[in-house]
Amino acid sequence: MKTIISAKDLTKRFGKLTAVDGISFDIAEGECFGFLGPNGAGKTSTVRMIHCVSPVTSGTLTVDGLPCSIDNRAIKKTTGVIPQEITLDIDLTVRENLMVFSRFFDIPRREARKRIEELIKFVELEAKRDCKIDQLSTGMKRRLLIARALINQPKLIIADEPTTGLDPQARHLIWQRLRQLKSQGTTLILTTQYMEEAQQLCDRIVVMHQGKILKEGTPRTMIEDEIGKDVVEIRVAAEEDEKLVGSLAGFACGHERVGDTLYFYCRDGRDLQKKLVELDLHNTVYRPATLEDVFLKLTGRGLIE
Amino acid sequence: MNLSYRSYHVFVRNLVSYKRFVVPTFIASLVQPLFYLITFGIGMGAYVGLFGGKPYLYFLVPGVLMSAVSLSASYECLFGTFVKMIHEKLYDSLIATPVSAEDAVAGDIAWGVFRGMISGTLMMVVAMAMGVFPVSVPAVFLLLICMVFVGVLFGSLAMIVTSLAPNFDFFNYYTELVLTPMLFFSGVFFPLDNFPAWMKSFSKFLPLTPAVSIARAVFSGVYSSSLITDFLYIVVLEVIAFYVGVKLMKRRLIK
Repeated sequence: MKTIISAKDLTKRFGKLTAVDGISFDIAEGECFGFLGPNGAGKTSTVRMIHCVSPVTSGTLTVDGLPCSIDNRAIKKTTGVIPQEITLDIDLTVRENLMVFSRFFDIPRREARKRIEELIKFVELEAKRDCKIDQLSTGMKRRLLIARALINQPKLIIADEPTTGLDPQARHLIWQRLRQLKSQGTTLILTTQYMEEAQQLCDRIVVMHQGKILKEGTPRTMIEDEIGKDVVEIRVAAEEDEKLVGSLAGFACGHERVGDTLYFYCRDGRDLQKKLVELDLHNTVYRPATLEDVFLKLTGRGLIE
Repeated sequence: MNLSYRSYHVFVRNLVSYKRFVVPTFIASLVQPLFYLITFGIGMGAYVGLFGGKPYLYFLVPGVLMSAVSLSASYECLFGTFVKMIHEKLYDSLIATPVSAEDAVAGDIAWGVFRGMISGTLMMVVAMAMGVFPVSVPAVFLLLICMVFVGVLFGSLAMIVTSLAPNFDFFNYYTELVLTPMLFFSGVFFPLDNFPAWMKSFSKFLPLTPAVSIARAVFSGVYSSSLITDFLYIVVLEVIAFYVGVKLMKRRLIK
């Protein structure tokens, strides 16, 4: 597959703060690439450099062979951005928002009208066509942001935490639309804190922390490499740890104590589960390993503020 | 300076959103000059009698025209732009499109000029309704051109203030300490002839003073050679203010 985005030693500094600290990655055409990480990990700073609204401090970054820079209108012309914050034009209606935006891309009026009708249908806002923005729910606003990002028929879409603050219905609708776009060959870059979102959408992910990439891979291999297949959570007082670890360590490939819970990570948890029945332990949860386990293992369990 | 025709798209965006505010701003732009012209023109005019052989209103109208343009353009590029930048985050979505930061700021200055011209034109209409006409029909068009120059100048100066403003309150320094006093030092309401020398020289440097002189000359048809320096001063000042305003706004918008 052809590489569309390439970053080498990419760095972003704001004064003394290093937001992105010399990261390198390649994104192939047509894939969905996810940046995962806690708040302040450098995800948004990275994607803002990709879509040319934030200058690169050092290192190289190219989109379609073109170097990213503030004045690169060519990249902006073929990129659609779904921003983290709702930046809709609140003085305008749904249709006017899209119409005004189409002008910024020099889309001829007639073509714009056609696209706007299609996009309003695509994000299911037909009934709200002539409503002002303050009459829309958060989910509707987010859907309109997607429609707006598609007005220039972008080859590359950047979605910066596109489902933050949405109810499950709205979130699933957005996921479906993003998958639909991907199936049409659009390259998708996603930043998210929701592991389920990354698992649902991404072909490949990187986990970022404090400006660096900690790990790169497909969601599945990342889970298998870092955690295994299954996780057993036992809620038990810390005094019991030694005894439990002693009798269970043979079945697991790792364990960790966090707060009131003892975690065992397993390649195959069936034997461990049998052992648990033997030990007659209650308050246990047996579940498949998820990306969230990887995320917490890599970025730590402490609060990041 | 990455400036392009796309500023026009930003101007159109403002025009589309303006549809909703047209009535209130028109009323404000009409009532405000009425107050000026009635209170100063009729009230004060009665005391001052004839000015150069004509009623006081002929002296007052061109000055008030220019100050209306300067204030409207300033307010639009102060409060209007600040709201779009900080509260509505409009600039953030603009600069993610082929519209550059420079285009966006220039489009907003153009919008400030347009708003200034609406105020100025309405004021001219009110003055005409009161029987105060410029000397000729071409003079009307020349006054409109003056308004463009004054609008760009004050819109750009306001952009400089906006680019530095941490919050709304900051604008009070500019409007209360700069713009409002400027009206009294620029020969809008009375001639500067009786000022002491140092105040006269100070007044000369205020950007509104040369604009008022030019507008008054155009309005009455009495020209003098000092208007050339007045005009050059405005042009130089506005080129500098535009450049600095756009650059500073870009610095604020792009991090």
